[in-house]
Amino acid sequence: MAQNSSLMSGVPELLVLRLLSAREMYGYQLAVAIRETTREAISLGEGVLYPALHAMENRGFLKTRRRTVSGRTRVYYASTPKGRRRLNELSQEWRRIAGGVEWVLAGI
Amino acid sequence: MPGGRFAGLSERLRRAGISPRRVRRLISELEAHFDDLVAEFRLTGLSQAESESQAANRLGTEDVLAESVIARPELRSWTRRWPWLAFAVLPLLSLPVQFVFSMAAAVAIFGFSVHTLGMTPLHPGPVPWICEALQAYALWIAPMVAAAGACYFAARYRASALWPLVGSILIAILGAHTNASFQWSPALPKGAISAGIGFRFPDIGPAIGFRVLLTLVTILAPFLWVRRRESRCSLS
Repeated sequence: MAQNSSLMSGVPELLVLRLLSAREMYGYQLAVAIRETTREAISLGEGVLYPALHAMENRGFLKTRRRTVSGRTRVYYASTPKGRRRLNELSQEWRRIAGGVEWVLAGI
Repeated sequence: MPGGRFAGLSERLRRAGISPRRVRRLISELEAHFDDLVAEFRLTGLSQAESESQAANRLGTEDVLAESVIARPELRSWTRRWPWLAFAVLPLLSLPVQFVFSMAAAVAIFGFSVHTLGMTPLHPGPVPWICEALQAYALWIAPMVAAAGACYFAARYRASALWPLVGSILIAILGAHTNASFQWSPALPKGAISAGIGFRFPDIGPAIGFRVLLTLVTILAPFLWVRRRESRCSLS
Protein backbone atom coordinates (compact mmCIF):
# COMPACT_ATOMS: atom_id res chain seq x y z
CA MET A 1 0.00 0.00 0.00
CA ALA A 2 1.47 3.35 -1.01
CA GLN A 3 1.92 5.74 1.89
CA ASN A 4 1.63 9.48 1.90
CA SER A 5 4.87 10.43 3.64
CA SER A 6 3.71 13.76 5.05
CA LEU A 7 0.48 12.21 6.32
CA MET A 8 2.47 9.35 7.82
CA SER A 9 4.97 11.63 9.55
CA GLY A 10 5.22 10.68 13.21
CA VAL A 11 3.11 7.53 12.77
CA PRO A 12 6.02 5.05 12.99
CA GLU A 13 7.15 6.69 16.22
CA LEU A 14 3.64 6.48 17.65
CA LEU A 15 3.25 2.81 16.65
CA VAL A 16 6.67 1.83 17.97
CA LEU A 17 6.17 3.59 21.30
CA ARG A 18 2.68 2.09 21.70
CA LEU A 19 3.81 -1.45 20.94
CA LEU A 20 6.92 -1.22 23.08
CA SER A 21 4.95 0.20 26.01
CA ALA A 22 3.31 -3.24 26.30
CA ARG A 23 6.46 -5.38 26.16
CA GLU A 24 10.04 -5.35 25.01
CA MET A 25 10.69 -6.59 21.48
CA TYR A 26 13.50 -6.88 18.96
CA GLY A 27 13.24 -5.38 15.49
CA TYR A 28 11.70 -8.30 13.64
CA GLN A 29 9.11 -8.90 16.38
CA LEU A 30 8.23 -5.22 16.24
CA ALA A 31 7.82 -5.30 12.45
CA VAL A 32 5.55 -8.34 12.72
CA ALA A 33 3.56 -6.65 15.49
CA ILE A 34 3.07 -3.55 13.32
CA ARG A 35 1.92 -5.68 10.40
CA GLU A 36 -0.50 -7.67 12.55
CA THR A 37 -1.94 -4.93 14.73
CA THR A 38 -2.53 -2.60 11.77
CA ARG A 39 -3.83 -5.51 9.66
CA GLU A 40 -1.15 -4.56 7.13
CA ALA A 41 -2.81 -1.18 6.60
CA ILE A 42 0.55 0.37 7.37
CA SER A 43 3.45 -1.11 5.47
CA LEU A 44 6.84 0.22 6.38
CA GLY A 45 10.06 -0.80 4.69
CA GLU A 46 11.00 -2.95 7.65
CA GLY A 47 14.68 -2.00 7.52
CA VAL A 48 13.66 1.63 7.98
CA LEU A 49 12.51 0.75 11.50
CA TYR A 50 16.08 0.52 12.76
CA PRO A 51 17.22 4.10 12.19
CA ALA A 52 13.94 5.19 13.80
CA LEU A 53 14.60 2.92 16.78
CA HIS A 54 18.19 4.17 17.12
CA ALA A 55 17.03 7.79 16.95
CA MET A 56 14.37 7.18 19.61
CA GLU A 57 16.97 5.50 21.78
CA ASN A 58 19.23 8.54 21.33
CA ARG A 59 16.43 10.80 22.47
CA GLY A 60 15.87 8.67 25.57
CA PHE A 61 12.46 7.31 24.53
CA LEU A 62 13.73 3.73 24.31
CA LYS A 63 16.27 1.63 26.13
CA THR A 64 17.96 -1.49 24.82
CA ARG A 65 19.46 -4.66 26.13
CA ARG A 66 21.18 -7.50 24.33
CA ARG A 67 20.02 -11.05 24.77
CA THR A 68 21.34 -14.17 23.09
CA VAL A 69 18.49 -16.32 21.84
CA SER A 70 19.19 -19.56 19.94
CA GLY A 71 22.80 -18.53 19.39
CA ARG A 72 21.88 -15.16 17.91
CA THR A 73 22.35 -11.88 19.76
CA ARG A 74 19.17 -9.81 19.70
CA VAL A 75 18.81 -6.18 20.63
CA TYR A 76 15.60 -5.83 22.62
CA TYR A 77 13.94 -2.42 22.77
CA ALA A 78 11.71 -1.23 25.59
CA SER A 79 9.94 2.02 26.36
CA THR A 80 11.34 4.38 29.02
CA PRO A 81 9.29 6.73 31.27
CA LYS A 82 10.26 9.55 28.88
CA GLY A 83 9.05 7.38 25.99
CA ARG A 84 5.71 6.82 27.73
CA ARG A 85 5.27 10.56 28.18
CA ARG A 86 6.09 11.03 24.50
CA LEU A 87 3.53 8.34 23.65
CA ASN A 88 0.84 10.25 25.58
CA GLU A 89 1.65 13.44 23.68
CA LEU A 90 1.64 11.72 20.30
CA SER A 91 -1.58 9.81 21.08
CA GLN A 92 -3.40 13.00 22.04
CA GLU A 93 -2.15 14.73 18.92
CA TRP A 94 -3.17 11.79 16.74
CA ARG A 95 -6.67 11.60 18.27
CA ARG A 96 -7.12 15.34 17.78
CA ILE A 97 -6.16 15.09 14.10
CA ALA A 98 -8.12 11.87 13.49
CA GLY A 99 -11.17 13.42 15.22
CA GLY A 100 -10.93 16.47 13.00
CA VAL A 101 -10.73 14.34 9.85
CA GLU A 102 -13.67 12.25 11.07
CA TRP A 103 -15.76 15.39 11.49
CA VAL A 104 -14.90 16.48 7.95
CA LEU A 105 -15.72 13.07 6.49
CA ALA A 106 -18.99 12.85 8.41
CA GLY A 107 -20.04 16.25 7.12
CA ILE A 108 -19.72 15.33 3.42
CA MET B 1 31.06 -6.32 7.24
CA PRO B 2 33.17 -6.96 4.16
CA GLY B 3 31.72 -9.52 1.79
CA GLY B 4 28.39 -9.69 3.61
CA ARG B 5 24.95 -8.96 2.18
CA PHE B 6 25.08 -5.45 3.62
CA ALA B 7 28.75 -4.68 2.90
CA GLY B 8 27.84 -1.90 0.45
CA LEU B 9 25.39 -0.35 2.91
CA SER B 10 27.96 -0.53 5.70
CA GLU B 11 30.54 1.34 3.62
CA ARG B 12 28.00 3.98 2.55
CA LEU B 13 26.95 4.64 6.11
CA ARG B 14 30.52 4.94 7.34
CA ARG B 15 31.35 7.36 4.54
CA ALA B 16 28.26 9.37 5.52
CA GLY B 17 29.67 9.86 9.02
CA ILE B 18 27.81 7.18 10.95
CA SER B 19 30.10 5.78 13.64
CA PRO B 20 31.57 2.31 12.97
CA ARG B 21 29.99 1.04 16.19
CA ARG B 22 26.50 2.13 15.18
CA VAL B 23 26.99 0.78 11.66
CA ARG B 24 28.03 -2.59 13.09
CA ARG B 25 24.91 -2.72 15.24
CA LEU B 26 22.60 -1.64 12.42
CA ILE B 27 24.07 -4.20 10.05
CA SER B 28 23.84 -6.96 12.64
CA GLU B 29 20.17 -6.07 13.29
CA LEU B 30 19.41 -5.99 9.57
CA GLU B 31 21.11 -9.34 9.02
CA ALA B 32 19.12 -10.92 11.85
CA HIS B 33 15.92 -9.38 10.47
CA PHE B 34 16.72 -10.66 7.00
CA ASP B 35 17.29 -14.19 8.30
CA ASP B 36 14.00 -14.05 10.23
CA LEU B 37 12.15 -12.93 7.11
CA VAL B 38 13.72 -15.70 5.03
CA ALA B 39 12.63 -18.25 7.66
CA GLU B 40 9.12 -16.74 7.62
CA PHE B 41 8.85 -17.02 3.83
CA ARG B 42 10.30 -20.53 3.85
CA LEU B 43 7.43 -21.56 6.13
CA THR B 44 4.98 -20.48 3.43
CA GLY B 45 6.58 -22.99 1.03
CA LEU B 46 8.80 -20.65 -1.00
CA SER B 47 12.24 -21.83 -2.11
CA GLN B 48 15.37 -20.42 -0.48
CA ALA B 49 16.06 -18.11 -3.46
CA GLU B 50 12.46 -16.84 -3.57
CA SER B 51 12.44 -16.36 0.19
CA GLU B 52 15.64 -14.32 0.04
CA SER B 53 14.24 -12.19 -2.76
CA GLN B 54 11.00 -11.55 -0.84
CA ALA B 55 12.94 -10.81 2.34
CA ALA B 56 15.12 -8.28 0.52
CA ASN B 57 11.98 -6.56 -0.83
CA ARG B 58 10.36 -6.47 2.59
CA LEU B 59 13.48 -5.06 4.23
CA GLY B 60 13.99 -2.29 1.64
CA THR B 61 16.62 -1.55 -0.99
CA GLU B 62 20.12 -0.45 -0.08
CA ASP B 63 19.28 3.09 -1.26
CA VAL B 64 16.18 3.29 0.94
CA LEU B 65 18.02 1.90 3.96
CA ALA B 66 21.00 4.20 3.49
CA GLU B 67 18.81 7.28 3.04
CA SER B 68 16.72 6.44 6.10
CA VAL B 69 19.85 6.46 8.25
CA ILE B 70 21.64 9.38 6.61
CA ALA B 71 18.49 11.52 6.86
CA ARG B 72 18.86 11.45 10.65
CA PRO B 73 21.74 13.77 11.58
CA GLU B 74 21.50 12.67 15.22
CA LEU B 75 22.85 9.26 14.16
CA ARG B 76 26.07 10.76 12.83
CA SER B 77 29.15 10.45 14.97
CA TRP B 78 30.60 13.43 16.82
CA THR B 79 33.77 13.05 14.76
CA ARG B 80 31.78 14.08 11.68
CA ARG B 81 30.44 17.17 13.43
CA TRP B 82 33.78 18.22 14.93
CA PRO B 83 36.52 16.61 12.80
CA TRP B 84 39.03 19.31 13.79
CA LEU B 85 38.58 18.31 17.43
CA ALA B 86 38.70 14.55 16.85
CA PHE B 87 41.58 14.34 14.39
CA ALA B 88 43.72 17.39 15.21
CA VAL B 89 43.15 18.89 18.67
CA LEU B 90 42.67 15.71 20.73
CA PRO B 91 45.66 13.87 19.19
CA LEU B 92 47.73 17.01 19.78
CA LEU B 93 46.61 17.10 23.43
CA SER B 94 47.51 13.43 23.77
CA LEU B 95 51.15 14.43 23.39
CA PRO B 96 51.49 16.18 26.81
CA VAL B 97 49.27 13.47 28.30
CA GLN B 98 51.74 10.83 27.08
CA PHE B 99 54.61 12.80 28.58
CA VAL B 100 52.84 12.94 31.94
CA PHE B 101 52.15 9.18 31.78
CA SER B 102 55.80 8.53 30.92
CA MET B 103 56.87 10.51 33.97
CA ALA B 104 54.35 8.75 36.17
CA ALA B 105 55.59 5.40 34.84
CA ALA B 106 59.21 6.34 35.61
CA VAL B 107 58.30 7.35 39.17
CA ALA B 108 56.20 4.19 39.70
CA ILE B 109 58.94 1.89 38.38
CA PHE B 110 61.51 3.61 40.54
CA GLY B 111 59.27 3.34 43.62
CA PHE B 112 58.57 -0.32 42.92
CA SER B 113 62.26 -1.06 42.40
CA VAL B 114 63.29 0.66 45.64
CA HIS B 115 60.49 -0.48 47.95
CA THR B 116 59.60 -3.90 46.58
CA LEU B 117 62.73 -5.15 44.82
CA GLY B 118 65.10 -3.53 47.30
CA MET B 119 67.11 -1.70 44.65
CA THR B 120 70.20 0.13 45.87
CA PRO B 121 72.47 2.64 44.11
CA LEU B 122 75.03 -0.17 43.65
CA HIS B 123 72.45 -2.57 42.22
CA PRO B 124 69.95 -0.42 40.31
CA GLY B 125 68.59 -3.31 38.24
CA PRO B 126 66.74 -2.25 35.09
CA VAL B 127 65.93 1.28 36.33
CA PRO B 128 68.60 3.20 34.34
CA TRP B 129 67.69 1.25 31.22
CA ILE B 130 63.95 1.92 31.75
CA CYS B 131 64.67 5.64 32.20
CA GLU B 132 66.46 5.69 28.85
CA ALA B 133 63.61 3.80 27.20
CA LEU B 134 61.00 6.23 28.60
CA GLN B 135 63.08 9.18 27.43
CA ALA B 136 63.29 7.68 23.94
CA TYR B 137 59.54 7.08 24.04
CA ALA B 138 58.77 10.69 25.00
CA LEU B 139 61.12 12.09 22.37
CA TRP B 140 60.58 9.80 19.40
CA ILE B 141 57.63 7.47 19.86
CA ALA B 142 54.99 9.65 21.56
CA PRO B 143 54.58 12.01 18.54
CA MET B 144 54.27 8.99 16.25
CA VAL B 145 51.66 7.40 18.52
CA ALA B 146 49.64 10.64 18.57
CA ALA B 147 49.83 11.12 14.79
CA ALA B 148 49.13 7.45 14.14
CA GLY B 149 46.06 7.67 16.40
CA ALA B 150 44.73 10.66 14.43
CA CYS B 151 45.27 8.86 11.11
CA TYR B 152 43.94 5.50 12.30
CA PHE B 153 40.69 6.95 13.62
CA ALA B 154 40.25 9.17 10.56
CA ALA B 155 40.57 6.09 8.35
CA ARG B 156 38.23 4.09 10.57
CA TYR B 157 35.61 6.85 10.52
CA ARG B 158 36.12 7.43 6.78
CA ALA B 159 36.83 11.08 7.56
CA SER B 160 38.49 13.56 5.20
CA ALA B 161 42.29 13.47 5.21
CA LEU B 162 42.50 17.21 5.92
CA TRP B 163 42.30 17.24 9.72
CA PRO B 164 44.52 14.22 10.44
CA LEU B 165 47.02 15.83 8.07
CA VAL B 166 46.88 19.14 9.95
CA GLY B 167 46.97 17.31 13.30
CA SER B 168 49.97 15.18 12.30
CA ILE B 169 51.94 18.20 11.12
CA LEU B 170 51.24 20.07 14.37
CA ILE B 171 52.12 16.97 16.41
CA ALA B 172 55.35 16.46 14.46
CA ILE B 173 56.39 20.10 15.02
CA LEU B 174 55.43 20.13 18.71
CA GLY B 175 57.00 16.71 19.28
CA ALA B 176 60.25 17.74 17.59
CA HIS B 177 60.55 20.81 19.83
CA THR B 178 60.08 18.76 22.97
CA ASN B 179 63.03 18.02 25.17
CA ALA B 180 62.39 15.20 27.64
CA SER B 181 64.80 13.89 30.22
CA PHE B 182 64.44 10.88 32.52
CA GLN B 183 67.53 10.33 34.64
CA TRP B 184 68.47 7.99 37.39
CA SER B 185 71.38 8.92 39.61
CA PRO B 186 73.10 6.71 42.18
CA ALA B 187 72.61 9.19 45.03
CA LEU B 188 72.68 7.68 48.52
CA PRO B 189 70.93 6.06 50.25
CA LYS B 190 68.42 4.70 47.67
CA GLY B 191 69.25 6.39 44.40
CA ALA B 192 67.23 9.21 42.86
CA ILE B 193 65.21 9.79 39.75
CA SER B 194 64.57 13.06 37.97
CA ALA B 195 62.30 13.75 35.04
CA GLY B 196 61.73 16.90 33.08
CA ILE B 197 59.93 18.07 29.96
CA GLY B 198 60.68 21.28 28.16
CA PHE B 199 60.01 22.97 24.82
CA ARG B 200 62.60 24.71 22.69
CA PHE B 201 60.45 26.94 20.55
CA PRO B 202 61.08 28.23 17.97
CA ASP B 203 64.17 26.20 17.21
CA ILE B 204 64.99 25.40 13.64
CA GLY B 205 67.86 23.08 12.87
CA PRO B 206 68.71 19.81 11.17
CA ALA B 207 67.94 17.75 14.29
CA ILE B 208 64.48 19.32 14.64
CA GLY B 209 63.83 18.95 10.92
CA PHE B 210 64.84 15.30 11.06
CA ARG B 211 62.43 14.62 13.94
CA VAL B 212 59.57 16.40 12.16
CA LEU B 213 60.24 14.49 8.95
CA LEU B 214 60.59 11.16 10.72
CA THR B 215 57.14 11.48 12.31
CA LEU B 216 55.51 12.74 9.12
CA VAL B 217 57.06 10.17 6.79
CA THR B 218 56.51 7.24 9.16
CA ILE B 219 52.85 8.02 9.77
CA LEU B 220 51.53 10.09 6.89
CA ALA B 221 53.08 8.15 4.01
CA PRO B 222 51.24 4.88 4.80
CA PHE B 223 48.07 6.80 5.73
CA LEU B 224 47.95 8.72 2.44
CA TRP B 225 48.84 5.58 0.48
CA VAL B 226 45.96 3.65 2.10
CA ARG B 227 43.56 6.56 1.49
CA ARG B 228 44.55 6.75 -2.15
CA ARG B 229 44.10 3.01 -2.61
CA GLU B 230 40.68 3.15 -0.89
CA SER B 231 39.48 6.00 -3.08
CA ARG B 232 40.62 4.10 -6.19
CA CYS B 233 38.77 0.98 -5.00
CA SER B 234 35.57 2.95 -4.33
CA LEU B 235 35.74 4.53 -7.80
CA SER B 236 36.27 1.23 -9.60
